[in-house]
Amino acid sequence: MIEVHNLHKSFKAKKESVKALDGLSFQANDGEITGILGPNGAGKTTCLRTLYGLLKPDDGYAVIDGIQVAEEPLKARAQLGIFPDKFGLYERLTAYEQIDYFASLHGMHGDNKHQAIEQIVKNLGMEDLAHRKTAGFSQGQRMKVTLAQALVHQPKNFVLDEPTRGLDVMSTRILRNHLALSKEQGHCILFSSHVMQEVAALCDRVIIVADGKLAAQGTPQELCDLANEKNLEEAFVKLIGSDEGVAA
Amino acid sequence: MIQFKALLIKELKEAFRDKRALMVALSMALLMPVMIMVMSKFAIDKAIDNPPIYVKFTGAEFAPKLIKAFKDDNILAFADVPEDERRNWNERNVELTIPETFGKDMLDGKTIDVQLRADFQEKSLMSPLRRIKDVVRDYSLTIGYKRLLVRGIDVRLLRAVNIQEQDTSMPTSNAVMISLMLGIYLMMAAFMSGMPVSIDSSAGERERNVLEMLLCQPVSTLKIVLAKLFCSSTISVISIILMLVLTSISVGFVDLTKIGATFDISGFTFIALLLLLIPICILASSLQLFFSFQAKSFKEAQSTVTMLIMVPSFVPMAMMLMDDKPAWTEWAPISGQSLIMEDLFKGLPVDWTALAFTGVATLAIATALVFGLAQKLKSEKVVMSLS
Repeated sequence: MIEVHNLHKSFKAKKESVKALDGLSFQANDGEITGILGPNGAGKTTCLRTLYGLLKPDDGYAVIDGIQVAEEPLKARAQLGIFPDKFGLYERLTAYEQIDYFASLHGMHGDNKHQAIEQIVKNLGMEDLAHRKTAGFSQGQRMKVTLAQALVHQPKNFVLDEPTRGLDVMSTRILRNHLALSKEQGHCILFSSHVMQEVAALCDRVIIVADGKLAAQGTPQELCDLANEKNLEEAFVKLIGSDEGVAA
Repeated sequence: MIQFKALLIKELKEAFRDKRALMVALSMALLMPVMIMVMSKFAIDKAIDNPPIYVKFTGAEFAPKLIKAFKDDNILAFADVPEDERRNWNERNVELTIPETFGKDMLDGKTIDVQLRADFQEKSLMSPLRRIKDVVRDYSLTIGYKRLLVRGIDVRLLRAVNIQEQDTSMPTSNAVMISLMLGIYLMMAAFMSGMPVSIDSSAGERERNVLEMLLCQPVSTLKIVLAKLFCSSTISVISIILMLVLTSISVGFVDLTKIGATFDISGFTFIALLLLLIPICILASSLQLFFSFQAKSFKEAQSTVTMLIMVPSFVPMAMMLMDDKPAWTEWAPISGQSLIMEDLFKGLPVDWTALAFTGVATLAIATALVFGLAQKLKSEKVVMSLS
């Protein structure tokens, strides 16, 4: 379970101070897929980086499975499978070696590790990629490798920042099925996306963030009802109070 | 331990698979021995050779015996210069004027002024001019001795005090030029070889967006820094070993006995050199990592780190030029090692306390840099500059 309580964070650039998070609170439960939506610059990445323990909040705190992130960042990170906003690959390693590397960083070893790698490679349908060096991989192939290394250690909690960008229809379906299966198994999934149909179809609950604050939360249907709109996209635009979300 | 092993294996795999960076890293080790061989061969040829000198004589006909003495030392008239060297010698323009009165003055026992005209600052003329002067001096002395002898005077009277020289240098120090060059190159290799790998694994990873992923993992930044440090200093150590081995082999192709010298790196010297240089490799790698992690881009890292690394690598050169070295230079990192290395090449006994002390001092600085860097990687500033 991921909880965020009253997060405040501002950045100082020279004399100006930018408020990125302004009292954001939400909760993502186990056995649910929680969508996090927000226009660009709403504070999503800052919030997620606080969750990873990369940034320290000015006020408030984040808790993962009862572990305070700011106090025990390493222990908290061990509970997370992270698919970050920006990601790169080690282009001189094969896909298998990369996944192996991240599995080892999470303390896996021996047969256990190899089975886990084989399993995730199979689950994401990337058997033919596994033993190729990642230099020259397409965007979709790179996404798959990154997903595999985020999920190989079977974390209790997933934090996926736009995991479907650049994926083709087949791969998106594979990922959705994988997430649905993980949900069944009781994992907690925090999922950010700009594709409203996807969020509407996949997420049990949606959190809308705007200006570093929680703008609204509930099931997709509840949000539509709240905004008195038929589809989530219209509801989203109305709830954040501007049109900028459409361009995002 | 599983984490550290994974970090290390990944760093080594990446370093050894990047063939181009690896070649750059090892290029110094591969090229320097060849350079040392070529340069020492050249220097030896120059030292033992007696190449012909062409002088524009005026009034050669007045002193045939002096001209003969010149000819015996391969100092010839400009008229005899071969076509391909004519331009050179014409430019150098060494003129020797023998006065018309040479024969008469010789008979009268007067001092004869022979004029030597040339550019005395010209480097290529240093040795020719010395040889010309030597010939004239020897010729003059021979005549002087003969004059005394015919007057019944023992020429030994001219030598009131005789100096006897006893050379205390070891036979190996005759090859001082080779060891001097090797010393400087070894230091430079220790400092520079790990650089491409250090920059690639720090600023390069940041630029390729893989650093953020790594920092999000449940790994302490200290382990990350140590793995990178270990990898890049391994490359420098390999470079040094390669350089030593290749130099030993390549020096074999140069006939040092011509100048009465010997040069070989014994097992003992080899181990002592490694003991000296390994701490330096570690210090250099930690410096490189420290600065390139703070650079905003790969390019910036390359330029700043190259500049910064040049500074300590000049220390050994400065030590060679300094005649009166202050006592602290024996203990300080880098200068201490370069002094011990000098002794080692001269065949003098190694000061083990100084070696241990400088080693520990060097490693202490490296440790401080590693901890400082590990702390820095936790800071928000580093995370913020990721995007």
